[in-house]
Amino acid sequence: MSWQTIRALVAKDLTLFFRNRFFAFITVAALLAYIVIYFLMPDNVDETLRIGFYVNELPPAITDLLAGEGLEVYYADSEQDLKDAVLNAEVTAGYAFPDKFMESLVNEENPVIEVYFPADLPQEAKDIYILLLKELSFTMVGQPLNIEFSEEIIGVDLVGQQIPLRDRMLPMIAVFILMIETMGLASLLSSEIEARTLQALLITPLTVRSLFIGKGITGVGMAFVQALILVAITGGLNNQPVIVLIALLFGAMLATGIGFLLASAGRDLMGILAWGVLAILVLSLPAFGIIFPGTISNWVRAVPSYYLVDTINRALNYGISNSLAFYNLAILLVIDVIILWLGVVALRRKMA
Amino acid sequence: MEEAIIADQLTFAYDQLTAVDHVDFKVKEGEILSFLGPNGAGKTTTVKMLTGQLRPKEGKAVLLGMDVVQETERVQAQIGVCFEDPNLYEQMSAEENLNLFAKLFGVKDFDAAALLVRVGLDGRGKDRVETYSKGLKQRLMVARSLVNRPRILFLDEPTEGLDPVSSETIRNVILEERERGATVFLTTHDMVEADKLSDRVAFIDHGEIVALDTPHNLKQLYGKRAIKAEVARADGRLEIKEIILDNPETAEAIQELFTQEQVVTIHSEEATLEDIFIRITGRGLAG
Repeated sequence: MSWQTIRALVAKDLTLFFRNRFFAFITVAALLAYIVIYFLMPDNVDETLRIGFYVNELPPAITDLLAGEGLEVYYADSEQDLKDAVLNAEVTAGYAFPDKFMESLVNEENPVIEVYFPADLPQEAKDIYILLLKELSFTMVGQPLNIEFSEEIIGVDLVGQQIPLRDRMLPMIAVFILMIETMGLASLLSSEIEARTLQALLITPLTVRSLFIGKGITGVGMAFVQALILVAITGGLNNQPVIVLIALLFGAMLATGIGFLLASAGRDLMGILAWGVLAILVLSLPAFGIIFPGTISNWVRAVPSYYLVDTINRALNYGISNSLAFYNLAILLVIDVIILWLGVVALRRKMA
Repeated sequence: MEEAIIADQLTFAYDQLTAVDHVDFKVKEGEILSFLGPNGAGKTTTVKMLTGQLRPKEGKAVLLGMDVVQETERVQAQIGVCFEDPNLYEQMSAEENLNLFAKLFGVKDFDAAALLVRVGLDGRGKDRVETYSKGLKQRLMVARSLVNRPRILFLDEPTEGLDPVSSETIRNVILEERERGATVFLTTHDMVEADKLSDRVAFIDHGEIVALDTPHNLKQLYGKRAIKAEVARADGRLEIKEIILDNPETAEAIQELFTQEQVVTIHSEEATLEDIFIRITGRGLAG
């Protein structure tokens, strides 16, 4: 194995990659787009509850309660005014109290409070607002339930420091970037097989092993550098940079192995794109679980990218323990080796 | 002279189809051997086994004293291969293509421009190969096969479908390489080219070598020598008469021709390699 020949191969592959206008454009455009999207998204989570009231008179105890942090209260002039505020998304729930609400309470009647929600409010959120109303009612009648609440936060207490959506999206964007490079590498390899330029390379003293090392270095290098640029620009190296860098490197190896498999499966650019989109969908699933917590079950751990996404997400957003990072990265490395090996075997069969 | 190529019972089969069947031959250093045969005869498969691209099912190939299977890398460092169809990096320039292969061969102080001049591509070295015509690409293919100054040059149909200028350029390069001392293994179904260039030719058909000798000896052995004469008939029309040489009646027939006929033109005739191939195999080279 000669490093001079491998270096020549890598230089050739990079030249060809950037002379392929389609992939050169997609590479640069995608990276820029992801970075722009990241910075366009809000960098904080709005935890304020906006509620509206139409009420003639509120007891001072309630007023004090509503003045608390995290609540923004709108007092409507009329019931219609309250409905308009809900409709215009100025508040996410509107409570309309009857005119003689306090009097009805005193007379031990059952006053009816109308609650208005926008149509797109999830049921879970509606339940919260109803619960808030009941709490207010108890406060109003001066008969708090004889129950004590004890709160315990499992994991990192994120009250007041919720992870912005853009930071939860970052692992998915990293997977996208790695996979776009995967398709570029696969296209490069497939075109070499179809044009039989690999045949010309292998008639020189270049060995098959050196050839795959060269291709591997190109694939891993390109995917890693782009993911690194993304993470560095978006501040992803501020927390546990060593773990993030190792995760990205292993992710780039995973992408390269999948690139080898795609190249062996697709005969041309369209075939590679078709297989590539399928691969992106599957590999993105763990990232969706981070963006929408609770939507994906434990089976997602069977997806090879889970250990990449989980490591990056925890390192960037929560802080990951060394033992969990080691566990995740070790599994990811084993998966990398298996997929790279399968990719090389599949490609060699295609080249034969 | 040493043997540059030894094919010893070389055999290869694609599934049930035997493409090359126990082929034996030797090529001396500095010799040009042409492999003549129709499409599918086994020419390219033989080249692939000789160059280490295919592993023989039986037999062995020895190049420059090295077993091709055992010492593939060392063998490939000493050979140049020009494939039948251009397989160049089209989005790279001619010079970039040549420089890449020079690096893969570990050639120091490689001069791409000088090599391009040899194949008539001077001034086109910086152009991307995708802008080249078929003839120019084939010349570049030949140039690429010379990057490492090979001791054995394999050329698989190098002038197939090319314009006369490109074909002549490539033929001149082949002769220059022979002058340099390189051994040339040429596969072709252009019998004129083989006749012009080769020290010896081998006819291959259905995976077997059916004849192997110098073009002159093959013509002597298998060809018929004759003279063809155009004679004027009494009505003024021309008639062609053929007299086979080497017959007991030849002298009498020639005398009769000149005494009894009005001879307009007369030519000696020699069998072509294609005639001989047809005579041996019963089919033409084009098939």
